[in-house]
Amino acid sequence: MTPAISVAGLSRRYRGQLALDNVSFDIGSGSITGLLGRNGAGKTTLLRIIAGHEFASAGSVRVLGARPVENDHVLRQMVFVREDQAYPDFRVGKAVQAASWFYPNWSHERAGALLEEFRLPLNRKIKKLSRGMRSALGIVIGLAARAEITLFDEPYAGLDPVARQIFYDWLLADYAEHPRTVLLSTHLIDEAAGLLERVMVIDRGQIVLNSGTDELRGGATSVSGPAIAVAEFTSGRPVWNRRRVAAQESAVVAGALDEADRARAAALHLHLEPLTLQQLVVHAVGSPEPPARERTSA
Amino acid sequence: MSTWISVARYQLTDRYTFVTGPWTILGLDFLITAAIVLGYPGRNGQVYAGALSAIYVYLVVTGALGIARQLPFALALGVSRRAFYAGTTLLAAAIAAVYALGLTVLQLIERATGGWGLKLHFFRVPYLLSGPWYLSWLTSFVGLALMLAWGMWFGIVYRRWNLPGLLGFIAAQAVAVALVLVIIGGADAWSSAGRFFKALTVEGLTGLLAVLAVALLAGGYATVRRLTV
Repeated sequence: MTPAISVAGLSRRYRGQLALDNVSFDIGSGSITGLLGRNGAGKTTLLRIIAGHEFASAGSVRVLGARPVENDHVLRQMVFVREDQAYPDFRVGKAVQAASWFYPNWSHERAGALLEEFRLPLNRKIKKLSRGMRSALGIVIGLAARAEITLFDEPYAGLDPVARQIFYDWLLADYAEHPRTVLLSTHLIDEAAGLLERVMVIDRGQIVLNSGTDELRGGATSVSGPAIAVAEFTSGRPVWNRRRVAAQESAVVAGALDEADRARAAALHLHLEPLTLQQLVVHAVGSPEPPARERTSA
Repeated sequence: MSTWISVARYQLTDRYTFVTGPWTILGLDFLITAAIVLGYPGRNGQVYAGALSAIYVYLVVTGALGIARQLPFALALGVSRRAFYAGTTLLAAAIAAVYALGLTVLQLIERATGGWGLKLHFFRVPYLLSGPWYLSWLTSFVGLALMLAWGMWFGIVYRRWNLPGLLGFIAAQAVAVALVLVIIGGADAWSSAGRFFKALTVEGLTGLLAVLAVALLAGGYATVRRLTV
């Protein structure tokens, strides 16, 4: 089966700066993938190229088996919700109505329900909306379009927690009824973790992590307790980073732990905590500067 | 094709730019002209206004605004640049045809009422719009379409290269016109150019304008193809 989105050797150069550097991955159809990474890592550029809004400097992008650039057959099955979307001088209702003309599977019912849930005033001009409301409008369009390829770029900038929960709930509910390929870039990693079947982490234009979320969970564990016990437990294991304050130490151990490991940790009075998706991502893009002088890295 | 029609419909949602704007300008223009004529009733003979050009000028703005404002959202909705341009061209052609018809009907009324009772020549323009109604319609149609196509190209250039691009585009047009003048002068061809335009019929001129409109459309298409949003 051809992947819904297939990217091979993709690079994008802007005046000597490499925004995307030899990026390759496949995304299967009927999946929700998180595209994670720091600001300026290349997430938006990648999504714009997939949507055919931007052009690649090198490499190939195939969406539903064909090049997306100026390909009406592919583009008709795609919706791209952008954080920085420039809207015409529309009112909310008009924008939603206009969007419905372009999608054969458009759900008026879902659009109406979402508009109500987000409390979006239909008669208000889009340029008078707050940031969060503009984001909500993008989400309404992105979900109601029911497009085979649905791209969300930071869809919830400025959205309040209730509205974000509405987005997660509705995305999952609608996805269950109408499976499609969703690629979602976000900074709120742990919040979205429940949705994501797969995460791709991009840093300085390169994919540094591409894995199923289930495989990632439990892939690293934080071990903390007396320094001597931590040293004993971690000896011979790959350790990502250590943090020591006085006689207490905390270390991140890569790889899954088995029952024997857990029993041993309990005997040593060590506290085990699996790393969250967000911590894994932070690790993947390189840890921040050490906050304490005692910290050493292995 | 159905996408083109959706695009045309989408563009037309901006009623102010496409409908209200041009006709409001033309209506106000007409009122002012009529008021001036009423204020100076002593003049003998016919009054030639020439203010009809307002709607043509406004349609350049219409073409530019329509493209520049509506393009990014259309692309987000999975419309290709080509389909967006084709749909906009479709709407421009329809608008030019209908507005030309409007201008022609107003011209007929003006003729029948003796220039609105004021001997005013507002919708009748000597040489250009003075023939039979169908010729007036055709010339108006081509003229309006030309202005829209020109404006569309402006809008695309703005979307692609912003203000510096727009200024460069205007400069390039000025240079092109200057070049033509220099070439005519250099070839010592002013008199033959003069003869050519003197002999040019309205039909011929309309044909020339149509060729120019198609050239502008082609230029706009070439520019939109590599546009990024």
